[in-house]
Amino acid sequence: MIAYKFLRRDGASVFTHFRWPLPNGGPGPWVEAQVAPCRSGIHACRPSDLPLWVNDLLYEIELDGDIAEEPTKVVASRGRLFRRIDAWDDELRASYTRMCADRALKLAQSASPPLADWAAVVEPSIPEGPALLGFVAARISEEISGTSAYDAERGRQADWLTQRLKLSR
Amino acid sequence: MTEFSKHLGCQEVVELVTDYLEGTLTPDETTLFEQHLNFCGGCVWYLEQMQATIATVGRLREEDIPVEARERLLATFRNWKRS
Repeated sequence: MIAYKFLRRDGASVFTHFRWPLPNGGPGPWVEAQVAPCRSGIHACRPSDLPLWVNDLLYEIELDGDIAEEPTKVVASRGRLFRRIDAWDDELRASYTRMCADRALKLAQSASPPLADWAAVVEPSIPEGPALLGFVAARISEEISGTSAYDAERGRQADWLTQRLKLSR
Repeated sequence: MTEFSKHLGCQEVVELVTDYLEGTLTPDETTLFEQHLNFCGGCVWYLEQMQATIATVGRLREEDIPVEARERLLATFRNWKRS
């Protein structure tokens, strides 16, 4: 199965800080771990999961062995980084952040009455990066129309990323 | 906490940080916790402070604590419920 994995700028996993062996002229070596979602295993994203886990670097990862499909991630017993997705660069991260900020402002201002408190946090949040702005846009949507709107906004963000990164669904 | 919405606030993250570090959150709770960490620099900083504190305090032996500091701590704990 092909999935996607965000890493920190130093190439380490975001939460475990595991140093992934990176692709170097070909796929990286296989990494193995027992599957126990959130505790052990190779954690990765489907395209629909990307907005929830946005981070500095993005890699295509090949998963194999036991694979558990969770609501917001996939967890496998084997995985190897296949290639870096170069399109996820500083420019695209900034574009995505701006898209989420614009969307958040539009949603906040279109509410009746407008959500002034939410609108006020959008621009100051931009330096914090794309993950926060994506969350803010989804939360404003939820404030207006409920939890299904939160999911819909996340889906909209996933569509934006999938198209710009030219990923297959 | 018996029911989670699709996201946690900072206050909930602070309340759950010990359970997270001890690995006692459910997988769903851990997912929400980490989703919050992914966008909240303040909570990442708090988590790292907790990890650093645990690592430092875990290395302390009783004889490492100066007598005066130990007496003050014991007095504080003795008076905990009275204040």
